[in-house]
Amino acid sequence: MIVVLLGFAGRSEGQSIRVITTTPDLADMTKQIGKELVDVESLTRGVEFMHAVPVKPSFVPKLNRANLLVHMGLDMEISWLPALLEVASNAKILPGQPGNVDASNGVSVLDVPRSLDRAEGDVHPKGNPHYNLDPLNGKIMARNIAEGLSRNFHQHRPALEKNLSAYLGELDKAIARWQTMAAPLRGVKIVTYHVEWSYFANRFGLQQVGTIELKPGIEPTPNHLIALTQKMQQEKAQLIIYGPQSDRFPRQLASQTGASIVRLQSIAGASPQTDTYIKFIDFNVRSLLAALKKS
Amino acid sequence: MNSAILKGVFWLAALVPVFVLWRPSLSMAQDEIIDLLKRQMAEMQATMKKMAERLEQLERERASANGKIATVEQSVKTTRSAPSALNPAIGMAIDATAEHRAKAGGDFNFRAAEIGISASIDPYARAYAFFTGSKDEFEVEEAAMVTTSLPLNLQLRGGRFFADFGRLAKFHPHEYAFVNTPLSLERIVGGESKADGVEVNYLFSTPFFLRGTIGGYNKLGAENERLDDTKSRAWSRFTYLGRLHSYFDLADNHSIELGTSLAYTPSIRIPEEPQGGSRTLTGVDVTYRYQPLGSTLYQGFTLGGEFFGNSERVERESGFRRLFAPGGYVYGEAKINREWAAGFLYDNAPSLTSPGKKTIGYSPFLTWNLSEFNRLRFQYSYLDDQVREEKGERGHQFFLQWTTVLGSHTHGFRTR
Repeated sequence: MIVVLLGFAGRSEGQSIRVITTTPDLADMTKQIGKELVDVESLTRGVEFMHAVPVKPSFVPKLNRANLLVHMGLDMEISWLPALLEVASNAKILPGQPGNVDASNGVSVLDVPRSLDRAEGDVHPKGNPHYNLDPLNGKIMARNIAEGLSRNFHQHRPALEKNLSAYLGELDKAIARWQTMAAPLRGVKIVTYHVEWSYFANRFGLQQVGTIELKPGIEPTPNHLIALTQKMQQEKAQLIIYGPQSDRFPRQLASQTGASIVRLQSIAGASPQTDTYIKFIDFNVRSLLAALKKS
Repeated sequence: MNSAILKGVFWLAALVPVFVLWRPSLSMAQDEIIDLLKRQMAEMQATMKKMAERLEQLERERASANGKIATVEQSVKTTRSAPSALNPAIGMAIDATAEHRAKAGGDFNFRAAEIGISASIDPYARAYAFFTGSKDEFEVEEAAMVTTSLPLNLQLRGGRFFADFGRLAKFHPHEYAFVNTPLSLERIVGGESKADGVEVNYLFSTPFFLRGTIGGYNKLGAENERLDDTKSRAWSRFTYLGRLHSYFDLADNHSIELGTSLAYTPSIRIPEEPQGGSRTLTGVDVTYRYQPLGSTLYQGFTLGGEFFGNSERVERESGFRRLFAPGGYVYGEAKINREWAAGFLYDNAPSLTSPGKKTIGYSPFLTWNLSEFNRLRFQYSYLDDQVREEKGERGHQFFLQWTTVLGSHTHGFRTR
């Protein structure tokens, strides 16, 4: 049996650059930039809550064989990726190595905590890691991926740069479209379940008036919900945004305040409507506009 | 030709008086245009002046912002270069219970304060350590070096660590889904698989997860009394281990994890057996998990169990005798919502010296995760004990456990 198992060690995987990404957003961009040069797989499907992804040993062989690991960074994957890298036996993709591509390099980070104290909940010491929700950051992500691929496979730099520039052009067109489409969202007051929508709100002019969670990662207490209801009524908040969380509290607040609830995606990939980065941002903008009409 | 000249003279004669008569008004219009241009020029100059002023202001602001950024960058650089910036990640877990045992009475049981530290050593290795203080002792539970960049999918671990035997033996007790170490694990393996030694892991290049371990240790098991850890001994008195560990996704939300372990000690002390004997410890662990990807925060189910077999071959003048003591545990835990989980533990623990006698435990438990770092747990246990080795380990027992975690705290892949 051992001989048979060892036999797998020598099997060839072809000539493609094997890229493992942590999210479908990054996988889509890597495909757009790497085209036929890359063989890409995302570890998550897009339905997960990124801070509670199961540490599946089935991810380990994938990481073991990867030439490149592209991740969101800013500790987005802190609860699961380091544990997998610990046993993946692939020094090329460990943090700090050329094969480890952090897509957040160069992003202007929001919500950097003023003090690091868990009395403030499950704080992210490096700031809010959900930067992919701002499509302008999408351009930074794409550039980081292209740079990561070029750094490791110099011979493909011209092709990668050409593909990157085509993708950035496509993204620019989409951004211009979203800016026009999202005009009615400017100034709309929102409540979110978790503090993950800051980048999106900033880009499209939404105003955040509160969160359902008491603190990041901490479910609300009855008193917090009462105070939030009052605040929503005073501020005339129109929308309640939630993601992979339960709709129990959003529905409860909606029934008390008349605000509309809308379930958005914080990463791409959950459905065919959001299977690319551009479609995913498009889905969020359209969902918000539809919810705003209802409110 | 003549008619053309005549036509020209006629038009000239007609236009000259018109031009003479119209000229003053033309001159007036020009003046107005010039005035207008002058006004526009003045306005433009004013605008340009304002713009120049704004530009200067922006330049000043930019310079000031750059100055501030430079100051911040300098401060970050200073912080990064400070010796303390290279401190390892430090965390601590505190675990305490209020308990009542029918045959022993009540107790505020300070179970453990566990300080964990970890960091990379260099590009080739990392290290971690757990120091645990409890009611009556303070000990180095683990302090190990692990390689990070060996070729051929190999990883080497050395020092003191929880040897790769089974599943739950590698957990620190505050990480269990229930309150106490199962008695089967406690008696057969010796609680945590604490060991001083060295082990090598190999990740097979299979499409599915398959990992193998071989190891050699002074002894295996924190509570294992049959070997002495403190002095040099013959190579026959070491423990040698082999393990295979695999995992399969049955579907998107369902998975199964399988492991099989074997630890062999050629020569051990056995109570009341002057010749001693050899020991073969076997283990099979199976864990089924239901983890609905879209709602892992709220739903989930784990069914985990381990079977252990302790086989001791005792040398006697009349030949040899084999003592086989099988045991194990099974538990199930279901997530009720984001904060609450409930489960049940069944435990079957033999006596190693009289394997026919057993202690059977039944323990329902209820866990309240106030946050990721703060947990309360209530557990009732009923122990049907035929062994009578440990005082108080029978009858009804009640536990209220409070466990908290401070700072950075992770035990990594093994306790996921």
